[in-house]
Amino acid sequence: MSNQKKRNFQIEAFKHRVVVDPKYADKTWQILERAIHQIYNQDASGLSFEELYRNAYNMVLHKFGEKLYTGFITTMTAHLREKAKLIEAAQGGSFLEELNKKWTEHNKALEMIRDILMYMDRTYIESTKKTHVHPMGLNLWRDNVVHFTKIHTRLLNTLLDLVQKERTGEVIDRGLMRNVTKMFMDLGESVYQDDFEKPFLEASSEFYKVESQEFIESCDCGDYLKKAEKRLTEEIDRVANYLDAKSEEKITSVVEREMIANHMQRLVHMENSGLVNMLLNDKYEDLGRMYNLFRRVTNGLVTVRDVMTSHLREMGKQLVTDPEKSKDPVEFVQRLLDERDKYDKIISTAFGNDKTFQNALNSSFEYFINLNARSPEFISLFIDDKLRKGLKGIGEEDVEVILDKVMMLFRYLQEKDVFEKYYKQHLAKRLLSGKTVSDDAERSLIVKLKTECGYQFTSKLEGMFTDMKTSEDTMRGFYGSHPELSEGPTLIVQVLTTGSWPTQPAVPCNLPAEVSVLCEKFRSYYLGTHTGRRLSWQTNMGTADIKAVFGKGQKHELNVSTFQMCVLMLFNNSDRLSYKEIEQATEIPSSDLKRCLQSLACVKGKNVLKKEPMSKDIGEEDSFVVNDKFTCKFYKVKIGTVVAQKETEPEKQETRQRVEEDRKPQIEAAIVRIMKSRKVLDHNNIIAEVTKQLQPRFLANPTEIKKRIESLIERDFLERDNTDRKLYRYLA
Amino acid sequence: MSPIENSSSSWTLESDLEDLDVDLQDSGPSVPLKKVPNGDIFEASRAGDVDRLRFLLQTGVNVNARDRWDSVALYYACLAGHIDAARMLLENGAICSEHTFDGDRCHYASLNLRIRKLLKAFEARPPPLAPLQASLRDTFLGCCHNRAYLKQASHANIDVSDPQSEMGCSSYFPPDVIFFVQGRPIEAHRVILSARSPFFKQKLENEWKDRREFSKEKLSYPALCSLIHFFYSDRLEISVGDMEDLVRICKVCKCESLQRIIEKELIHQKYAEYKTHRDLDNSMKRFILQGISLPEEDRLPASLHRILRVSLAQSLADTSGDARDSSIGVTRLSDSVDSLADVSVKVDKKIFYCHQVILASRSEYFRARLSRVNDFHEGKSGLPGDTLPSLEEHDLSAEAFEKMIEYMYTDGLKEISPNQAEEIFDVASRYLLFPLKRAVADALLPHLETATPAELCHWLVLSDMYGVLKIREYCLDLVACNFEAFVETREFRAMLLTLPPPSGDSSLRTTVPSAPGAMMTTDQGNLLDDLREKWLEAEALELDMRDESALVFDKRLGMLVEMAEHEKSESEAGDYKDTSA
Repeated sequence: MSNQKKRNFQIEAFKHRVVVDPKYADKTWQILERAIHQIYNQDASGLSFEELYRNAYNMVLHKFGEKLYTGFITTMTAHLREKAKLIEAAQGGSFLEELNKKWTEHNKALEMIRDILMYMDRTYIESTKKTHVHPMGLNLWRDNVVHFTKIHTRLLNTLLDLVQKERTGEVIDRGLMRNVTKMFMDLGESVYQDDFEKPFLEASSEFYKVESQEFIESCDCGDYLKKAEKRLTEEIDRVANYLDAKSEEKITSVVEREMIANHMQRLVHMENSGLVNMLLNDKYEDLGRMYNLFRRVTNGLVTVRDVMTSHLREMGKQLVTDPEKSKDPVEFVQRLLDERDKYDKIISTAFGNDKTFQNALNSSFEYFINLNARSPEFISLFIDDKLRKGLKGIGEEDVEVILDKVMMLFRYLQEKDVFEKYYKQHLAKRLLSGKTVSDDAERSLIVKLKTECGYQFTSKLEGMFTDMKTSEDTMRGFYGSHPELSEGPTLIVQVLTTGSWPTQPAVPCNLPAEVSVLCEKFRSYYLGTHTGRRLSWQTNMGTADIKAVFGKGQKHELNVSTFQMCVLMLFNNSDRLSYKEIEQATEIPSSDLKRCLQSLACVKGKNVLKKEPMSKDIGEEDSFVVNDKFTCKFYKVKIGTVVAQKETEPEKQETRQRVEEDRKPQIEAAIVRIMKSRKVLDHNNIIAEVTKQLQPRFLANPTEIKKRIESLIERDFLERDNTDRKLYRYLA
Repeated sequence: MSPIENSSSSWTLESDLEDLDVDLQDSGPSVPLKKVPNGDIFEASRAGDVDRLRFLLQTGVNVNARDRWDSVALYYACLAGHIDAARMLLENGAICSEHTFDGDRCHYASLNLRIRKLLKAFEARPPPLAPLQASLRDTFLGCCHNRAYLKQASHANIDVSDPQSEMGCSSYFPPDVIFFVQGRPIEAHRVILSARSPFFKQKLENEWKDRREFSKEKLSYPALCSLIHFFYSDRLEISVGDMEDLVRICKVCKCESLQRIIEKELIHQKYAEYKTHRDLDNSMKRFILQGISLPEEDRLPASLHRILRVSLAQSLADTSGDARDSSIGVTRLSDSVDSLADVSVKVDKKIFYCHQVILASRSEYFRARLSRVNDFHEGKSGLPGDTLPSLEEHDLSAEAFEKMIEYMYTDGLKEISPNQAEEIFDVASRYLLFPLKRAVADALLPHLETATPAELCHWLVLSDMYGVLKIREYCLDLVACNFEAFVETREFRAMLLTLPPPSGDSSLRTTVPSAPGAMMTTDQGNLLDDLREKWLEAEALELDMRDESALVFDKRLGMLVEMAEHEKSESEAGDYKDTSA
């Protein structure tokens, strides 16, 4: 029984007798070959998938995989050769269509064949590491059709022709193009790149080289950029429509190179339409286009930026060095502000708020503002002007805006300490003459300066405000404790802390008796409440309101300076006084006295004194009488002193000197600070560090630093190293 | 594995360990890759011999087995820094969870960060799905609208780099149902839905019979999507936030066991503060449920088995009725309503009602066949529209086909007799159902222990032909170890005649085991070459004698072949005599 079973089993086991038939393989292959032919002839409806698959399966099973594989390759190759001939025979325009048609057919057939040979694909090919059926079919198509000598170049030329046609404005069959490029992509990235993309890029490069040359000869910069932009979007559109997405970067880089990079310099410097022209005429749109296009190429923005910078510097230099312009400081600063606004707008609207451009703008301004040594003064004057009267009728916010803008300019200044000096002077004048319009505006500017330059910078300025405030309190206290003084002249004293205020030599003069009594009373009151202080009278900075009755009984109140008051008071006792007498009685220095008399006697409409002889200038021999015929429409008359708003030349020198003088201790302090931490340092490094540390206040002069070092060595703060003379050591 | 092999492997291991600390920052392996043509899984992992490893895994060795030093293969791969080998082991189901002995050991031993990351990546991932679930899952994800689900799941870093999902496009089988939920489509197949949910079965057989599109705006998209994905793959992956919606849907769909489990889990989630998840909100937390958690009758294979039983019963009834003209399965569509069968397959005069989606998911052959219906002869038979599409398969028996579809539906095989094994090998190869071969091989192996040399020769030839590596290895080992006994049998000598001769080229023959480049084609090499190799191993000759021994073996073979030829002509003559007599 068991024997019987085994026998059956054995016979059944070897049922695959087919192998024994030596012609089995050939026969089966013939069936399959015929099937492949039929599939290619689109005549597969008569075939049974099941049967074909079974046959292919059996062939592989019985180790005829090799035969099947090679057979499939040869058959397909033969078919593709035939197809290639058919495609090649197609005439003119139908060539591409034919190719496309055949390609679709091949794809379909290939898929069917792959399915029939699936078993081979999964086992035989897998284990022998051969190319799978589908990629093999693509490779065969590539080698036999696409690389067929008579098709290869023709295909490429046809495609490039079509692209060329489209570029010149003709309508082409984009669907067909897409199918053909899709074919290249399906055949593999390298095929697409080598057989299509590379030549396409070369042809494009050539095309754009010619076209850009043409454009640049005939168009101005703005038009050229418009055309370049159009071409660029066209190419991107083309890629989206019928090319591989990876080509976008490549083709755009070709357009960029040919249309922009190669003509960059010429475009930027084009006469009457180049960058400078655009900047001058506020062509935001063109500028924006230029920015967007140039951004795409290397060095594009650098070029634009460089040209803009040099233009800015040139323009700024003219602006600040023009002697005409510096006559009116307010106008001067206003011009600077306008320029800045303009370029700010260009950068924000056309250049996309590019940081590098903003930096370029800032460095240019920094460069040319400092070309004019008087810029700090002018800026301070501008602020003075704005805070004095300019702000009348302007809202809080506008004040802030203007001040913010001025602060921008301030930031560009290298010599901030010079500005501080001037600002202090101007502020002092404003405060003492009570001409500040808005306390808030003043304070907000101080806050801005503080945030910009730190506490040190503004501490003295703030001190000035405090002084003003305490003075008010002091006056109230003074009159409170001396109720008897409500009769007679009123004295208003502003006690200024030495050091906080711009120092001016105290010019002594003999005050009229009424006033000096009062002064003495105040002095004793003040020193009584504040021990250990010294008061000195700054008569040159005071003002006085005096009432005068003229010949015909006209009553006027005269607003005059302290010196003028002293002079006028003398005329209470005598009708005519000579210059010498006045000088003797008042002891006012002659230059001040002359100026004061000039404004009393020589200014038309304000001449409360008459001078004999009548002339413009005050001479030593002149004598003065009260002008009885003085008339004025107003009750109050302000008699100014002849002072220039701007500094006179010697004054300027003096300020300058004072600034230099102030810098010395600062430099020394910086040196000591550095050396204290470093102990030993060589000369160059000291200079560098000191310069760096003082940067926010001023640009230290190396020779000055050197002098300071010498002086410190003399005072035994530092010593030179014995071996290396360039090294300094910190002592103490 | 022989003890000799093991001791040699331990020796080399120690020497490798000494070299290990040379450059730990180097991301490459510490030991150069080499080939170990005869190594076991541990040796192959340590050497990073991916080809050998693949071969071993195909023959079905246990990836989580331990060697004498209580180490798993993954440990060696991690230790030596062979990332490809480690990945292969992990993909084949090696366990690496932290807080287990093996897992922690692998983590600590990892040579470099890349390996560590790999372990981490696999740790978060549930073990691989069984072939049935995996292929149906691919079909589900192959439907283009269902890709969205994958993206949603990838938030939680689950299955992102699942290699199967990469091939999603190739495993496409057109869906026949589409749901629109919250404006987003979910595609599915009727048979799966009705297999898993009584609700869908009832609806699809009645009201929804002729509809394709359903609008379910009120349901929650992630919940329904997860549920349908679960229907296909027996694995639920859902964010905790969507679980309540899922419970509701389960209620409607009458998936009771699933509903119970999720309700229980919801309570857990509510009250248990998981340390690691505290900083995540509920949508980030994900809940993963394996099919194993369900009672067996609610899992995918059992559900499909029910469906199969119905359609098989029908098929049998039809054939037994046999009243109809059986030329080509002209079956009324209405006949198949109960089982939702949508294709009939005629095999050896018998008609089977099957489901396209399952055939197509399990076998590439059927996928191609079903999608190619119109291109070939089969589609042109001009049948009226209300009939089932029918296929006809030749050259196989109805019994084998039945076994095969049983495997396709359930991933399981029952009662395989050795007599059927060959036919099933044939079917499995033909329909590209490679896991089936392994399943049959497993069923067959116990029978081989009692097999005669003649039968073994027969199985050797068969397994070589069908590429059943496990059987082939087994037979080769047996033949090599008992070479003399086999030489005595006539069948063995007869077999030699049918085989291609061994490669005589001495360069191919000199196979010093660990020489680089030796044995390039590990799988499906020349049978006699492999035999010689095994024989040399079994005889355990000295290494420097190998060449001569190989020559001796070849000579021996030559003699045997001569002998066989002689016997053959004799027997033919005998046959001739018999017939003439």
